[in-house]
Amino acid sequence: MSSRRQPNRIRGPHSALTDFLAANNISARQIRDDYENRVRAAQTENNADGNDNEEVEGGEDGEEAESAAQAAAEAAIARNRSRRQQQDAVLKARADKKKKAEKKATKSKKRKSKRGDSEDEDDSDFDITQDMYQKKKALPGQFENCELCEKRFTVTPYSKTGPDGGLVCGACGKDLDKESKGDKSAKKISGPVKRARKVESERMDGIVRYGPKPLVQTCIETMLKFSDSIESFDNTPEHLVTQICRLFTKHRVLNEDTFPLFLRSDMDRLQVYDCGKLKSKDFERIFAEIPKITHLALDNAYQFKDSSMDYMIEKAKNLTDIRIYGANLITSPQWSKFFKARGKKLKTVKLKWLDDSFADEQVADLVAHCPNLERLKLEFCWKLGSDAIDSIAGLRKLKHLSIRIMKPVENENLISMINAIGPRLETLSLRSFKDLDDSVLEAIHNSCTKLKKLRVADNDVATDSGWAALFTDWANIPLEFVDISEVRDIDNQNPEGPEEPIGVAGAGFAALMEHSGEKLRHINVSSCRHIPVETLLEVFALGATFPKLENVDLSFVQHIDDVALAGLFKAAPETLKKVALFGCFGVTTDVIVPHGVVVIGPPRIGVEEDGTMEIWGDTAMDDVPSAVQVAVEAQLGAEDDMDLD
Amino acid sequence: MTMMEKEPQQPLSEWVTLISHDEFTFHILRSSANLSGTIRRMLDPKSGFKESVTGVCHFENISGTVLEKVCEYLYYKDRYQGMTNVPDLEIAPEVSLELALAADYLDCRAVACEGIMINVLI
Repeated sequence: MSSRRQPNRIRGPHSALTDFLAANNISARQIRDDYENRVRAAQTENNADGNDNEEVEGGEDGEEAESAAQAAAEAAIARNRSRRQQQDAVLKARADKKKKAEKKATKSKKRKSKRGDSEDEDDSDFDITQDMYQKKKALPGQFENCELCEKRFTVTPYSKTGPDGGLVCGACGKDLDKESKGDKSAKKISGPVKRARKVESERMDGIVRYGPKPLVQTCIETMLKFSDSIESFDNTPEHLVTQICRLFTKHRVLNEDTFPLFLRSDMDRLQVYDCGKLKSKDFERIFAEIPKITHLALDNAYQFKDSSMDYMIEKAKNLTDIRIYGANLITSPQWSKFFKARGKKLKTVKLKWLDDSFADEQVADLVAHCPNLERLKLEFCWKLGSDAIDSIAGLRKLKHLSIRIMKPVENENLISMINAIGPRLETLSLRSFKDLDDSVLEAIHNSCTKLKKLRVADNDVATDSGWAALFTDWANIPLEFVDISEVRDIDNQNPEGPEEPIGVAGAGFAALMEHSGEKLRHINVSSCRHIPVETLLEVFALGATFPKLENVDLSFVQHIDDVALAGLFKAAPETLKKVALFGCFGVTTDVIVPHGVVVIGPPRIGVEEDGTMEIWGDTAMDDVPSAVQVAVEAQLGAEDDMDLD
Repeated sequence: MTMMEKEPQQPLSEWVTLISHDEFTFHILRSSANLSGTIRRMLDPKSGFKESVTGVCHFENISGTVLEKVCEYLYYKDRYQGMTNVPDLEIAPEVSLELALAADYLDCRAVACEGIMINVLI
């Protein structure tokens, strides 16, 4: 288009070099002109020097020529001087410009604030004149020499401006960025904002902190900041090393460099909670340095490969407890090989997140070669199915079982497994068995007598009557840990759920608390939305006590209200630590939370009317029972008194 | 033990003395010293330890610099006990490991945090 608009622009033939130079923004003409200028300047300089010499020599010649020569010499000197002065002035101006540019770069922020200063005005005039003579800035797509490293680079819209106002290349731009970021990170956010955020975050984790941190923790946190300079943890007790390891993991400073600190030949166990930054050679190092290791726990051990497994089989002959999560690079035959070689001593096997390599045959090998296994956890192993459940039934010494099978499993398989190993089980955790129904609960009722921990979570078939039947007249000892979360019917067409409630409802919850109330430490019945308020009031009535209760999750138990919650606080006054109430709209800020209890999740309703109350455990109440009493009374009708408070 | 019980009850002194292995001596309030589980058990009149009679505790494996920091922590803990928004205690990095060992030995935990520690660490 442009060539058509400029008809007079006639060009002769081009050489390849001219094209190349033009494409790279190098002007041959400019180079030539510069060169000629330099040559000319050098010549005039030489001439002037020659004149000086002539002057000296001319003194010895005859007097006739003296005056003429002198006049010529003086003229030359004057010319020369004026040129030198000019050159000096130019040099000085350049130096000044450079200095000011540096100044500008360092004090640009100050300038912004003091724009009205007279000095600045002078500067701006100067800058304008300088700008006029400055080379035009290259546009995106063109080439330019980097201001800092002088390299040639393509200008992009993202090219950074250097300290002298010119453009810089990508690499130098990154360095500049880093420097400026370094300045920013130096100004870390601290003070009340950060602290408040941390306190809130800890509350969500169920932590209420009164008083200072333990000294050990403070020390470890200091160590975290200087993790590079720690030499060794020799002579440090094992439990302290474990604590340090935990906090190192939490703060993500456990890497290839710090990991060797935790490898001590005098220890027999190692727990690394996040191996994400470790390489396979680091895993091999474990068995080289701690050959007598018995307990090994590696979470996120992504780089644990077949070679590491071979090394483990060869070296770690005393291994009894093993926990490896996320080790997808170990192939199926290697697992079988491991169980065959080291199975006899194994007491605990916990495996999670094995997508492609751990199949039913490996579970069969596990059962066949690990006769002494007491604790087994298999979760998110995508290839496992009903056959794995059948195999597990053969573990005759098993006490603790946690499984989460991703494929559908028939109830018959589960029932036969529970009948086979149920009587010895202390822990039974069945997660995500969607089709698990009342017949399995009945099997648990009939077989299990030693259970302390029961979890049947994420299911939409088992009914309330099934749960009630399980807990009624159960020969089992009282449970300490119950998790019946997410047991509910999901049907968009029928949001109220079926007539016969799915999951724990009135009868089931009452039977559970009746059976296990005295020993329960942890209850999770979140999403069991059919528990009616009458049952909750009955269970947490005045006079009821749950002496061990610490942790309660009643999220999405829709019908819970202030009175039931106050009753819960009163029923476990000493031990209760955390109550989760997400989505419980019946709970208002009228409830006074006792000192030391964390309540998380309730929507803050009614805060405007009664801003003095906090549902977040801030209101420190020394006399807990009376506080609860107040809340109960308030709910039962004395609401006017409450408002006055 | 029986000897101790027969002795007439003397009022306990308000101050106790902690001595490091390099002979640095620290006189601190008994109430603050009792915040460390180990020191409390040492000074408890019912325990019958020598320290409970003399009110002087020798620590053969704790150096003066570390013991000084321990005393500072005990006072700091005494001051901020039961409060929220407690400022952090500054610890020099070079003594942090040694101090952690000493703290572990002396059982310098905030009593209210015992259960919480488990939560933090898990």
